[in-house]
Formats: sequence, structure tokens, C-alpha cells
Amino acid sequence: MKHYSLLSLVALLILSCETKTTEQTPIHFNSLDPKATGVDFVNTLTPTGDMNIIEYLYYFNGGGVGIIDIDNDGFDDLFFTGNQTPDKLYRNLGNMKFEDISTAAGIGTEDSWSTGVTVADINNDGYQDLYVSKVSNYKSLEEAHHMLYINNGDRTFSERSSEVGLDISRFGTQASFFDYDNDGDLDVYLLNHSIHTPRNYGRSDQRSQTDELAGDLLLENKLNEGSLHFVDVTQAAGIYSSSLGYGLGLSTTDLNMDGHIDIYVGNDFHENDYIYLNQGDKTFKEVSNSALSHSSRFTMGLDAADINNDGLTDVFSLDMMPYDPDIFLKSGGEDSDKVSQIKESFGYHPQFARNHVQINNGNETFKEVAMVSNLHATDWSWSVLIQDYDNDGMSDVFISNGIYKRPNDLDFINYESDVDLSKFNEEDQDELELEFIKVMPSIKIPNVVFKNNGDYQFDRFTTEAGLSDSYSNGAAYSDLDNDGDLDIVVNNINEPATILENNSVKNNFLSLQFDSKLNPFGAKVYAYNNGSQWYRELTATRGFESASTQKIHFGLGSIQELDSLKVIWLDQKTTVLSNVKANQQLLIDRKSNSTSNLTKSSNELFTVAPFDFVHRENDFNDYDKEPLMPERLSIEGPALERADFNGDGLDDLFIGGGKYQASELFLQQKDGTYLPKKLKVFELDAIHEDEDAEAFDFDKDGDLDLYVVSGGNEYVEGVLHTTDRMYINNGKAEFIKYPAALPSYNGGSIAAGDYDGDGYEDLFLGTRSMPGGYGLSPNSYILKNTQKANFEMAAHARLGMITDSEWADLNNDGLLDLVFVGDWMPVTILINIGDGKFDNQTEEFGLNDTQGMWNCVKVADVDQNGTMDIIAGNAGLNLKWKASKEHPIQLYLDDYDENTFLDPIIFYNFFGENVPFASKDKLISQIPALKKYFVRYSDFAKAKDIHTLTGKDSIMQTKSIKELRSMVFLNENNTKYNAVPLPIEAQLSTIEDVYFDNGDLYYVGNYSGYVTELGPSKSNAGGVLSHFKNGNFTQNRSLGLPANLEGRKIDKISDKTFIILTNNDSAYTITKKN
Amino acid sequence: MLILSPKRIKMKIKAFFSILTLTALVLFSSCEEKTEYKDHLNDAALFREVEQKLSDVIVYDIFSPPIASRVHVYPSIAAYAIMQQAHPDKYQSLQGQLTDYTDVPALEDRKVIPNLAAVHAFLTVGKALIFSEEKIEDYQQQLYDQLQDEGLSSLEFKASIKYGEAVAEHILNWADGDFYKQTRTFPKYTIQEEDRYWKPTPPDYMEGIEPHWNKIRPMVLKSADQFPPVDPYPVTMDKDSPFYKELIEVYETGNMIAENKDSEEAQIASFWDCNPYVSHHKGHAMFATKKITPGGHWIGIVKIASELKNDSFDHTVNAYMMTSIALFDGFISCWDTKWNTLVVRPETLINQYIDEEWLPHLQTPPFPEYTSGHSVISRAAAIALTAVYGDNFEFLDTTERVYGLGDRSFKSFIDASNEAAMSRLYGGIHYRRACEEGVKQGEAVGTYIVKNLMTLK
Repeated sequence: MKHYSLLSLVALLILSCETKTTEQTPIHFNSLDPKATGVDFVNTLTPTGDMNIIEYLYYFNGGGVGIIDIDNDGFDDLFFTGNQTPDKLYRNLGNMKFEDISTAAGIGTEDSWSTGVTVADINNDGYQDLYVSKVSNYKSLEEAHHMLYINNGDRTFSERSSEVGLDISRFGTQASFFDYDNDGDLDVYLLNHSIHTPRNYGRSDQRSQTDELAGDLLLENKLNEGSLHFVDVTQAAGIYSSSLGYGLGLSTTDLNMDGHIDIYVGNDFHENDYIYLNQGDKTFKEVSNSALSHSSRFTMGLDAADINNDGLTDVFSLDMMPYDPDIFLKSGGEDSDKVSQIKESFGYHPQFARNHVQINNGNETFKEVAMVSNLHATDWSWSVLIQDYDNDGMSDVFISNGIYKRPNDLDFINYESDVDLSKFNEEDQDELELEFIKVMPSIKIPNVVFKNNGDYQFDRFTTEAGLSDSYSNGAAYSDLDNDGDLDIVVNNINEPATILENNSVKNNFLSLQFDSKLNPFGAKVYAYNNGSQWYRELTATRGFESASTQKIHFGLGSIQELDSLKVIWLDQKTTVLSNVKANQQLLIDRKSNSTSNLTKSSNELFTVAPFDFVHRENDFNDYDKEPLMPERLSIEGPALERADFNGDGLDDLFIGGGKYQASELFLQQKDGTYLPKKLKVFELDAIHEDEDAEAFDFDKDGDLDLYVVSGGNEYVEGVLHTTDRMYINNGKAEFIKYPAALPSYNGGSIAAGDYDGDGYEDLFLGTRSMPGGYGLSPNSYILKNTQKANFEMAAHARLGMITDSEWADLNNDGLLDLVFVGDWMPVTILINIGDGKFDNQTEEFGLNDTQGMWNCVKVADVDQNGTMDIIAGNAGLNLKWKASKEHPIQLYLDDYDENTFLDPIIFYNFFGENVPFASKDKLISQIPALKKYFVRYSDFAKAKDIHTLTGKDSIMQTKSIKELRSMVFLNENNTKYNAVPLPIEAQLSTIEDVYFDNGDLYYVGNYSGYVTELGPSKSNAGGVLSHFKNGNFTQNRSLGLPANLEGRKIDKISDKTFIILTNNDSAYTITKKN
Repeated sequence: MLILSPKRIKMKIKAFFSILTLTALVLFSSCEEKTEYKDHLNDAALFREVEQKLSDVIVYDIFSPPIASRVHVYPSIAAYAIMQQAHPDKYQSLQGQLTDYTDVPALEDRKVIPNLAAVHAFLTVGKALIFSEEKIEDYQQQLYDQLQDEGLSSLEFKASIKYGEAVAEHILNWADGDFYKQTRTFPKYTIQEEDRYWKPTPPDYMEGIEPHWNKIRPMVLKSADQFPPVDPYPVTMDKDSPFYKELIEVYETGNMIAENKDSEEAQIASFWDCNPYVSHHKGHAMFATKKITPGGHWIGIVKIASELKNDSFDHTVNAYMMTSIALFDGFISCWDTKWNTLVVRPETLINQYIDEEWLPHLQTPPFPEYTSGHSVISRAAAIALTAVYGDNFEFLDTTERVYGLGDRSFKSFIDASNEAAMSRLYGGIHYRRACEEGVKQGEAVGTYIVKNLMTLK
């Protein structure tokens, strides 16, 4: 077509303009003066008595931005939606000059409430059309329907929604056009939102009831049958269309790489986000529960794009968590643990009020990495746009944010909103509401841009990157001046829209254009160079209520020429271009088609199979007893011990159950299978929660006896439930309980070792906690085997909250030393100095600043240099808590109100300032007198240290966490340990157990027992690290375990097979594929 | 016992006093002798005003009903103790009558003006129990300035304040042993799945309030479970069961009220709502409206009765104390029942089995259903007030006027307490049995208190 003649296959070489300012951030924007650009659009909001934030919950959600090239001149034009003001269309004249052509183009004359705008060539005529969503049928809002502006090809548009069946009249948020049935025309998903106040969560099965105004819709385009015409296929396709959906975010993209476009719907409030996987037969399957371990609670805008260059589309969903410590302490945080429990009982999946970055695992599951990336908190956030803004080859993130009035300010709710009901009951409600709105706080904050540094690490920039304070909503990207970098357009409340001209450091780029007649939505574009790959998929609807450019943009760093470029079209045909030069705009056509197959090559390392044991936890919620504790200590099992109990030369398994679950023996058969053996003696002891177990020959009769450590946080020490047990083997794996008086406490770990070299194995018993006194160090014990079928206590000391321990000769002097780990304590080393004496040499060995939330420890020669290294699994980095030597997490233990109960108060560094971890309400429920000093939340926001908070100068005991990473400590000359953090993939969740196998480090993890304020750590159930070179492992591969699994134990049970035990879930075996 | 930072508190008090003393001296030396302060201090209206002030701060600070009853009771006892010291021939000592109570320091300094000391002791104890201290302090300063303007001498003032302080300290030491502090760290209620058990309710699904209030030391009762009501009906969805019939009664009454917001039942329910913290979710905004608690309402009725009777200062103090003790012990008795029976609220079952959208006329408060707290404490308070002011005491209840609700008139305190009880059924938050049995429980508590607590000689 002639419209392309200007551009077709012509590479536009870009002149680089040298206007670099000094000391600028790597990503930087110039906010252009509206007078200079001619873009004077303002989304002006004028609250009235019957239309305001109180009458309409989404009153301040603002408007969107649509990037459209109306005349195919290669310069993207701009469309803005207005809520109480008409929409506007601006033509790009080049050089960042624009002209308002709304009236001439026949657009935006009415002033009904517009929300989202999207852009698509709906009639496949080669011209991009516009579709605008509206809110109507609500209170005083104008009657209206969604508007379809068909591009006439002459810079004018005709509104034809009713002709084609798109004149929908609902509470619209946004639409996305995509070909759901791969028939060559664009169908549409209409995202709508509920308007009712979420008073009652209601059960989640309500989502199958339809709602005529709030429900989402899927409409099929019948263009391929000859006429442009849309038909409602919502029900048939399996799309929820209920009043439960508070739809604010929408993306249509192929999430599972099967060639069919899927849908991600972000829902606000208690309703979960939906992931609809396209089944390829005009139906969808909603899989969010199995695909996500958790999602954002108040989901707002979202974007779907490959953020880690692994060729898979990830999903970034926004929420409203503040990053300013003061605002954070004054705003409502996460649901309480109780409310979250109630929501789960109503059928909702866990949600947390922060941004979520869902990294695609390639197997229809996602791992969530917002915390490790520090992308989790950007305040009330609306649009997220994942693109390479500095053209360095890595995807960066732009986020628009702001809320004109903050209805979640807790002082407002509790102290300022107190309604004068005598007035309220009368007719002047309207006036009263406006008064309220006046006292609701307004805080203007800048938008945010994150520069991607790889390995899930990002730098955050705001004002220093040229972003200024605003209340911003919709946003879209496009290279408006065709200078090779992406500019950003933002729709603001009560201020002119912002055009952010990109003036980041200059790098090479490639920009691709597609002929809209060919229905390019869903095209997958791969760029390859020298072993690296970049991946993009073409879709318009991104961010919030907005549509970005339909060009595909790659940042190429210093690459001058790509090896190749591959486009896989939605119909699976492929176009490949070789040796593609950088710094050009290229029109992709489909002449050189070949068919590709998208069949996924399975690169799973292991076959995963269930093992015949299910661990069952009893229902006990630690927080009901100790509301200030950050983690549940009652969900630590099961115990595992591998040993040959019946003397047949094959290792058997002892598995210790939860409370009320009997321990079990699994006897290995000659064929490598396991036969469960139930023992009466174990059943009689089912009330114990088993924490750890050790097999050793206690009585020197040649078989292996069992010591089982009992625990749990439910009971105080000294009761039957927490008493350890010892079982004596008769050589045939038949046990009797040994009537010894054994310790009774919340046990954590046992390790057997003959430390005194008398030929009898002695025991270390590491204690986990003092029930009711979270944070205190209980006594741990060394028990010496007296050789007379008895133990005597050789030593006891308050060593910390111990989780794991091991005997090993760390300093190579022939004596067994002891290493153990736990919470709020360093990796601790007791060196055996002979004569049954031990010396704590943690500091001498350089482990002094390793206080962590350690879960496991293993001694092995990792670097194969003949010395004993230490592997230790920690909480990991994917956590709201951040810790370092300079900014440790502090735990202050004292009885501040002198009521004989311990009050453990935690402070941690929150974006640069110390803040109390427990909310004001939680602290006050335990220590009511605090409220005297902190009646208002703004007062509480000043409590940035323990003294200000409690008025106390000297605290009974202070503990800290300085290290959250899982580590290898390399032994240097048997005198010193050097810390090496495990690679980032192994830091994405807790590591609960490890197995070191001939150079490969196997690990399992995930832990859901943190309080909701901290959130679960469930992004990596297990993996294997290999190829230890130059001081670290260089390869990480997944074990392929189910995503939500909480791994607790891993052990090797045969040449190629490992057993994996989980908390409150099934056990598995994994077997290496050949 | 003023925990956390005694230093901070002391400093505040010191500063406060030095300013007072200074102004007092200046005023005293520059004015002619005036005696208006005497009338001011003799007027029962002054004591009603300080009680009202405390009620207002309780509302602002958001106290749950049982804790509010604790904030009301100790200051009133402090004031009574001084009245008793001042009028030993008229009033009996509380020693031996209230659990663990010992007599306050004797009133020996003749410069002490007992009514001023009582006001000061009341405010000092009250201030220790509430959070927004400056609200009390501002009021105190204004009052004391005014009294000195009116001719109160520095000597009398200082002596009265000093004695009031000493009594307040004595009362607070005693209060410190009531197990309130310890119960702050007791376990929260763990949600139990079965239908019959109480569960948190919309819209905020708040944590159950004070599951261990039965551990609080009662004033006159021997134990929290001294007057247990009959068992609640077993919870069942069997249509022929008495429980189900009562559930349907709540549902249908609620529907009737929803259709007729001006009905007598709707007005009664709203009038006695007395929910200290009602959250409203509207649009994207959440508001909290705050009102007096059920106990606070009865403290308001004491004011009305004292005014109508044109009562004396000391006898008004007695009325407040009797009522607040009935309220305090009533809450302990009722909370013992609530957290032992753990009965589910009607809203939970109606939403689950009958009508997902059904809303009670009042917001369901966050604790188990049986028995109705308002029923128990209203009857207990009514009996105490009847003992003080007599039966058939007609009055117009204007307590809720400031919250935009109309006035209601009653033939007697008992009449008012009956209406308060039934208001919970109309409000959709209680079954009939909890109201009726609650009244009986309150009757037993109130009767026991007036029989065993002797004040007037």
C-alpha cells in the first residue's frame, strides 16, 4: 500500500544528537513543556456531591494514553482519555511538536466518562483504529457506551461501535484486541470493574454468576466470515463475568508458548487475578491457583514482557505499597493473618498488597521475584511498562503512580472521618462528602523508573531521572521523535499530560514495524546475537487503560549488527532475517514465510514421582499466642533419617510425622522400592511432632537405634508432647521405646558424633525455641554416651534458636568439632579442644557477622581442596526484610509493660529508614500503653528506633540478622572461612535442606510460615547448583518440583534418585533422566 | 505502673504544675477575694461534666465496650473514696466490699476541698487509663484556671490536688492488680470451622475482642461465672429446631426493618447501637463513626437522672460509682458466657445459608453472640440506678442526641433496659434468647451488687 512507500524496507539512519548533560542517570527523561509540544490535555477532575471518591470508588483512577499512527507516516500520534473532560487526539508533527486534531478527526466531542483506550486495526484495512472504554449506567454519569473509532484513512474517524456490536455499556476499564481463535481477525476482551464496595468478601464461587454491568466480556470478531461483527462468546469460552471482578489490569499474550494467546486479568481487592490459558478450541482454562503462589491484592495496571531475557513472557502486576517509610507506617498494610485465613476459607488464593513480578518458569507456573528485585513498592501505582529505555539490552521498568486523595490514610479513617451523623442523616450528604474529601490527605510523588542490571537487580530512579511529582495514571511508550529511544507519555490528574523525552545514554537499537493488515498481534520476535537472545511479543494494551506503540523495539547496547531476527507469526509461520543492522526502523513483511513448530523441547532434568508418604501438620496458629513473632515455629517437620535398620545392606528410611501423625519406617526392597512398615510403638507416640531424628548404635549391639527429637511451639517445655524419644532396635527393624528420661523442649536438631573418641556416639541436641518466648535462646545440650546404656549431660548452654547441626572435624586436628545454625544467630562453630571441652571459635573463623535466619547446615568439601567447607541454607533474598552488616534487622527482647510476658519487637531497614516490623495496631494490642504516645499514626511514623517506641534505654537482650543469603563458607587452611553467597536463583526462596553430591549441590526450600506482613517465600521449591568454578557454582537448574511445594528434606536414596519430603504435603522422588 | 517511660510522664506533670502554681499566685495577689468557686465546686454539674469529659475521650480513643467499662469504673471509685473520707457518717468504706480494695489515705489536711480533690483524683485516674492525655490535661487546666479566677486559694488548691494525687495513686496501684495487663498477651481466638462457632464478621472481619475478659478481677462478684445463664440453643439448620426459628426471626425482622427504616424497631435498634467503632466502606473510602459504648450510654443516663433529681455532688458520685461497678461486673459475667459458648452471629449463618447479601441493620460487633452484652449490662445498670434513684423514675433519654439520634422516653430504668435488650434483635445482631437470657443474667448480677455493696449508711 502506498502509505508504506515512505518507509517500506527503508532503513532510517538516525542522527545522534549530542545533548548529554553532566552526571546524569543512565536512564533519563526530559519532561517537555506542554506549550512547546502543543499537548495541553489535562484530565481535570471536579468532584461534585454526587460524583466523587466516596460515591464512585474509582473516581481517581484517571485516564489512559493511546499510541496510534493514524496516517502510517511512521510518527506515532497521541490519544488521551478524559473522565470529566473530552478525549483528545494529537497528531505528531515530528520534532516533538503535536497538533490537536480532535475536532477535525471527529473524536472526543462528548464528555461521558472515558477510561481505557486501545489501538488495533479492527477491520484489517491497514489503518489503526481506536476503541475507548466508558463507565456509564452509574449514578450521575452520562449515559454512554464504549466507542469504536474506525480510521477512515484520511486522518478522520467514524464512530461505528453500534454497527459492529461493540457499543457495550458497562463499567468499562479497558479492552484488548487479539486473535483468540487464530482465524486471522481480532477478537476482543473487555475488562470491566465492579463498583460496589467490598463489604462482604462473599465466597469465591460467586465468580461464576454473571453481572450485566460489571462482568468482563469476550467478543468474537466475525470478519473472517465476511463482515466486521462481534458476537458475545464469554460463557462458551469459560470467561468469568461476575461482580466479583474488579478488573483494572489486562494483558493478552501467549504465556505458555503454545501459539494461542492467553489472557491475564488483574483484579482489585479480594478477587484473585485470573490467568486464562487458551486451549486452542475457543475455550480458556483459568489456572491462576496452580500457576501462581500468590499475587498482588489490589492489582492495578500490568504489563507482560520478558524481563530476564530467557525468551518467556513474564507478568508484572502493580499494587499500592508505599516506599516512603512515613507513608508506609500511616497506611494500611497487609491483611492480618486472621483476615487472610478467612479469605482463604472463602476460596481466595493468597494475595499481598505489593507489586508482583511473576517470572515465567516455562511450565505454566511462575516464580515471584519482586522482593529480591526491590520492585515491590512504588506506592499507588497504575501503569507499568517493561521496555529497554537505555538500549543496553536489558528490559527496564517504568511505573506511573499517585493518588489524588488517600482514603487509606489510617489517621483519616480513625480520627478525621468521624462523621457528624446528625448531619449525615439529612439531605446535605453531598456537602459533607466534599468536606471529607478536603481532609483526605494528598501526597504528590514522582513516577519511578528502574534500570535493569541483570540477575534480578534494579536501580531505582525518580526525580534524578527527570521524573517529577504528579498524580499519574495511564502511560504508554513510543519513540515519538524516531531518534532510536523510547519516550513515555503520561496522563495526569489536574495537570497537563507529560511527554517524557528519553535522553538516556546512547546505545544501539532496532525498531520493527508491522503492516497492520496482516494481523500482527501475537507475533513473537526473537533477536539473536552471539549466543544472546531477546524476545518480544506484539500486543498493544499495556500498563493501565493504555496502549503503547505497535512497533517492536530492541535495545542492542554496543551491537552493530544482529546475527539474526526471527518472527513467529500467530499462524506459526516464521520469517527469518539474517545480519540485521542496528539503528534502523525496519518494516517486517511476510514474504519469506516458513512454517515453524512451537513444540517445546523438554529440558527437565528429572522425572518427578510421588512417594508414598504425606506429611500432615496439625492446625495450630502460633500468632494467636505470640502475635509479635514473625514466623511460625510449629511447621518445621517432617524428620528424615536414612539408615539400614534391618541389616540387609539396603538403606531404609525413617520419616517422622507431624503432631497426631505416627512416624513411619520405609524398608528398602531389593528392587529399590520401599515397603512401609507401621510400628505400634510409633503409633503410641503419634502425639509428638517430630523435628529431627538420628540413627546410631546406642547400645553397641551392632544395629542402629533411633533418637527422635520432639518439638512444636504449642506447649511449654516439660510436657509429654515435647519429650524426645529413643527407640532400641532388635536388629530386625523392630523397636521398643527406651525408658530413659529425655529432654522435653521444642527441639530443633540432633547430631550424633563420638567427640571424645571412646567408640560410643555422643549427641548434640540443638533446641529451637522457648515456646511463648520467641527470640529467647533456650538451652541446648551435649550428651555424652556413658557406655552404660545411658547419657550424661556433658554441657549445656543458651546457644540460640537452633535449626540444624553437624559434627565434623573442621580444623583437621582429628577431633570432631560442632557447627550449628539457627534464627537470629551466626553460623556457629564450637571447636573441640580435647578433654571433652569446646571453645566457641565463631569469631576466629570469621563467621562473626553471619547472623541469619538459617535453616540448615551441611559440611562438605565443596571446592575439592581437601578441607571441610560449610554449606548453609538461609531465608534468601526474596523477602521484604533486607539485612546487611550496616543495616541489620534488630530483635529487641524485653517485657516492656512488665506483665511477665516477653514482647519481641523487630525493627528493619525499610528503604533507608528503620521501621517497626509489627503494625501499630499489633503492637498496641500486645502493649496497650504504647498508644498513650502514639494515638495517631502520624505519631507512630516517628518511632524509628526502639527507644522512641518504648521509651526504654536498656533492652534486656538484642539480637540481629545481618545476612539473609544462603551461603557456602570455604575453608581456608583449616583456620578461616570465606563466605561465598550462592547464585541468585538459589536466593529466590528459603533453603531448608541441602545435599552435596559429588560436586552438585541439591537444595529444597520454600516456606509459608512467615506472618502475612512478611509474606511467604515460595519462588523456588528446589534446584541443583553445579560446576563450582572460580569460587562459585556457575550453573543452576530446577528440580522440576511442583511450584508451591514446601521442601523440607532432601536425601539421596540411590544412584540417580533423591527423596524429597515436604511440610504438610506429599513426598516425592526425583530421578535423573539419562 | 505507668510503664514504658515514667520519666516522660513525670516531666509532663512537673511542668504542668509549675505553670499552675505561677498563675495561681499571680491571680491570687491581684484579685479581691471571691467565692464563686465554692458554688462551682459544690454543684453536681461539675462532676457530671468531668464524667462526660472522660466519656468523650473514651469515644475518641476507641475503646471496646469491656475495656471502656474499666476506664469508667476506677475514676468513679477514686471520687467516691474521697466523698467517703469527707462524709464518713454518710458513706461506707469500700474496704472489704470490693475485691482486694484497701482504704485510700485518710483525709487529714483541712485545707483540702473534697470535691476538688475528687475531681482531681477522677481525672488523674482517668488520664492514666485513656490514651489522649492532652485532652484531659487541657480540660483540667481550663477548669483549674477558672476556679482560681473564681477565688480558689493557692493553699486550698495545692492541698486538694496533693490529696487527689495520693488517692489516685492508691486506686491505680489497686487497679494494676486486676490482671488487665497480663491478659493483653493472652492467646487470640483461633477460628474454628464448624458452623456453630463464632467467626469474625463483615466488613472488617475484626479479631474477636477480649476472649480472656473473664480473667479480669471483678469488683463485687466472687467470680466471672457466678451467674451463668442457661445454655444457648444448640446451633442447627434443622428447620424445626428452636435455634433455626430464632435465626429466621432475626432474618425476617431484619428484612422488615430494611423495608421500613422509619419503623419503631429500626429507631430502637439505632438508638441503642452504642458501637464504639463502626466502619463504613463507601466508594473507595472507609470511614469510622465513633459512638459511646453500651456502658457509656448508661453513664449518660446517670447524668440525666442526677440532673432530674437535682442531686447533690456527693450523691451523684455515688450514683456514678454504683452504675459503673454494675457495668464492670456485668461485662465480666457476660464475656465469660460469650467466650465459653462461642455462639455464631446470625449474620454469618444467614449469609452462608439463607441470603448472601443480607445485612443486619446494625454492624455486627466482633465477639460471640451469647449472651447479649447490652442486655446484661443494661439490666445490671438499671438495677443499680433503681437502687440509687428509685423505681418508676421517668426520664427522657437524650444521650444519643449528639450522635444524631432522637430522644426516647422511659417509665423507669428497668423499662429502658428492656428496650436496650430487644434492640439487639431488631438490630439483627442477636437471637431472641441471648436478649432474654441476657436480661436475666444482668438482673442476677445487678441484684447481687446492690445487695452486697453498701454505700449509704
